[in-house]
Amino acid sequence: MAKAWTRDGLRATALLSPAYLWLTAAVFLPLSAMLYYSLLSDVPFGDAEWRITLDNYRAFFETGTYAALLWKSIRLGLTVTVVCILIGFPCAYVLAKTIRGRSREALFLLIILPFWSNSLVRIFSWAIVLRGNGVLELAVNAVLPFDIRLNLMFTQTAVVIGLVHSYLPYVILTTYLALQAIDDTLIDAARSMGAGKLTILRRLILPLSLPGLLAGAVLVFVPVVGAFMEPRILGGRFGTYYGTVIEDQFVAVFNWPLGAALSFILLAVVLLILALSSPILRRAPA
Amino acid sequence: MAEVSVENVTKTFGATKALDSVSMDFPNGGFFALLGPSGSGKTTLLRVIAGFILADNGHIRIGGEPVERVPVERRDIGMMFQNYALFPNMTVADNVGFGLRVRKVGAAEEKRRIAEALELVQMGSLRDRKPHELSGGQRQRVALARAFVTNPRVLLLDEPLSALDKALRVDMQIELKRIQREIGITTIFVTHDQEEALTLSDKIGILRNGRMVQAGAPRDVYNAPDSVFIAEFLGDANIFSGQVEGGALRIAGGRAIRIPKGAEGANTFAIRSEDMAISLEEPTGDDTDRIRADLVQRVFAGAMATCIVEVEGRRMKIVARERDLPALPDEGPVWLSWETDRLKPVKDE
Amino acid sequence: MSGKWLARAGKVWLVLILIFLYAPIVIMGAMSFNASPFYQLPFEFSLNWYAALSENDAIRTAAIRSVGIALATMVIATALGTAASLAFFRYEFRGKFILQTLLFPPIAIPWLITGTAMLIFFFGIGLGRGTPSVLVGHVALALPYVIVVVSARLATFDRTLEEAARSLGAGAWTVTRRVTLPWIMPGVVAGALFAFAVSFDQFVVSYFLSEPGDATLPVLIYTSIRKGFTPEINAVSTIIIIISMAVMLVAARFSNFGGDR
Repeated sequence: MAKAWTRDGLRATALLSPAYLWLTAAVFLPLSAMLYYSLLSDVPFGDAEWRITLDNYRAFFETGTYAALLWKSIRLGLTVTVVCILIGFPCAYVLAKTIRGRSREALFLLIILPFWSNSLVRIFSWAIVLRGNGVLELAVNAVLPFDIRLNLMFTQTAVVIGLVHSYLPYVILTTYLALQAIDDTLIDAARSMGAGKLTILRRLILPLSLPGLLAGAVLVFVPVVGAFMEPRILGGRFGTYYGTVIEDQFVAVFNWPLGAALSFILLAVVLLILALSSPILRRAPA
Repeated sequence: MAEVSVENVTKTFGATKALDSVSMDFPNGGFFALLGPSGSGKTTLLRVIAGFILADNGHIRIGGEPVERVPVERRDIGMMFQNYALFPNMTVADNVGFGLRVRKVGAAEEKRRIAEALELVQMGSLRDRKPHELSGGQRQRVALARAFVTNPRVLLLDEPLSALDKALRVDMQIELKRIQREIGITTIFVTHDQEEALTLSDKIGILRNGRMVQAGAPRDVYNAPDSVFIAEFLGDANIFSGQVEGGALRIAGGRAIRIPKGAEGANTFAIRSEDMAISLEEPTGDDTDRIRADLVQRVFAGAMATCIVEVEGRRMKIVARERDLPALPDEGPVWLSWETDRLKPVKDE
Repeated sequence: MSGKWLARAGKVWLVLILIFLYAPIVIMGAMSFNASPFYQLPFEFSLNWYAALSENDAIRTAAIRSVGIALATMVIATALGTAASLAFFRYEFRGKFILQTLLFPPIAIPWLITGTAMLIFFFGIGLGRGTPSVLVGHVALALPYVIVVVSARLATFDRTLEEAARSLGAGAWTVTRRVTLPWIMPGVVAGALFAFAVSFDQFVVSYFLSEPGDATLPVLIYTSIRKGFTPEINAVSTIIIIISMAVMLVAARFSNFGGDR
């Protein structure tokens, strides 16, 4: 009888091991390798002398530059998240509670679609819109009686706009799913007891959709903290963030051990946020 | 076609014993029911015979051959599932032909046997329909045809009629019995409907908490239940228990009841609800025993009627034909009477 | 009265958001048909940039490479992911929850971290940069998506169908091929399209893993943008976004993503 169990065990192993071996080789071992690298004094190739050291982490805590950049990236993440929620929640609400039938399905798809298209290209499209003498400026000046120079390109505002554009659909998606799960009869019940619109929103809808909203917030915040392509393209000389510094270590300065240490600190921050939010994320739909 | 035997089969899931040393023989060509309340292990036993669940201990033989280590697909069984489990992507004919295709019987043979099987369940005209285009009863027939078309050694039915409404269920019971007789296949089915089990089967096995508490011909089990549980589970029964004193049973309230001959050692007895009579006047007669009771409620149910009475605080049920009942008040004192040899000694469990 | 007004305001808000989401993309597309290389208005229709695109060898090779990698990723990730989903669906075993949880790091960890970690590791084991490394990375990123999409479809599959097939004598392979796969096919197709999209649109990981000489299309676009771009990039970007949106639309149809039916 143990034999039959083994047969199932063998089948499960056979079906699972290709996928998980692949993930191990391409994700889990690399993450472990990165930890090891972050403890090296130099790249262990060629004739370079190297040893195990904590210097890279010391650099983060002693110079203050990297910590300041990490804080700047975290602030950027918070800004983008808050903006996404403020814009996205009403939108998700309208979609979930006031629009019905096939048009809702179509609108939902239309909002989610850009999220699944090429993010680099979408950031690039903002570069065309926002650049000095670009489409936005021409359009604004055509409407207004006086000339202004917007010059949004290469500002932090441009970076925020681009990132909000990239991640807004995430918040709408998760919030929409949470709102849709709220039974309409609950709202009717509250109204039958004399609750006004604001009371219903505050006492019923917000608490019930909170898991979805927070899930969306985490899903926006985490990638924004690690963003480097968006600040590079839209931020210009204001576009130095924690992510771009890591990028530099790997493609410009070639200080991989420092880059690995910085990446690993970022990973720690991300994992901390995911761990703190995992009870909420688990309750969120889909 | 073959006999099936289950011997000392035990299966534990975590801390619960789903099957506890269960044994039962299913002779060739018979129709058998596994009966029990939910959670009694009847479905587990069926799935152990099918091979979906592997027993921890014990032996299962099909046609004398031990099959504990044979995987489901090589046990040569036919099984019908509670929800029918028809393949939604295949037509009726393809569903029925699935097992034949797997056995590579050849195209012509396959076609002939599908037609034969569908004819037997009277579904020949719907062979090209998809399952979602069929009614519940039709799906049931297809599922049955699919289960027996391969001439399996044993046919296993998991609550085959539970998804049908009552009228259809009775039709299908007759139909099921006819088909089983026609192909003469050993058939084991699981049900929680005791009436269905009594109607259809040659032998029933009653399970409780993972144990086989009684097995035998329906009539024998019904008339001579082993235990309080079976007496009350199969049909309606009333129980007397107390101390034996000088050839009589002294029950609560100090009343004495005569004990039938040959059952002097027992102190718990069961009697069928329909074997008791109810009357306003005290009945007479030497071989009848009688007791005073309080009528609580009289329930009209068409041909039959049920009277609920209380004897020393204990509820009892009397079932009789409506027209045989005497005129009775809505409630008040009455007499219960019965022939002493209708009392059956039972185990108090 | 106020309810109606609120509902109308809500719809206006929705439209504004759709404009915000689509305007830049539409403008970028329009500009790829503008004759001026400096995006000057008035708009003058021209197909010059598309003509230039068709003669740009670097872009063409990168495009072919990108599609090739995306197709390979699709095939590998779909096969491995579907197999893993079947195992999760069919078998109970210790560590199942841990294995399922392990699917989230590749999705949840910023690609910057995953990409740099892959670079370090692939260099360490001698694989280095280049198309094979990119492929290995893309498959790993696409796998969790395939498993999630196929598992969602499997969740609607009636387990007793597999049992019925086995009771009729079908072995594991026949059960899978004739009963399970036909049912989960829409999920598998959707998963495959997701995998294609994840790879085709992937920039960050490709950026760290590709050699300067054999960049994928998004990497080439990024380096061009940073060097100072021309409307040729608009043209290729327009094509990319149309392809990736089309792929996702088809995937949405198959996975019934967000549908109420």
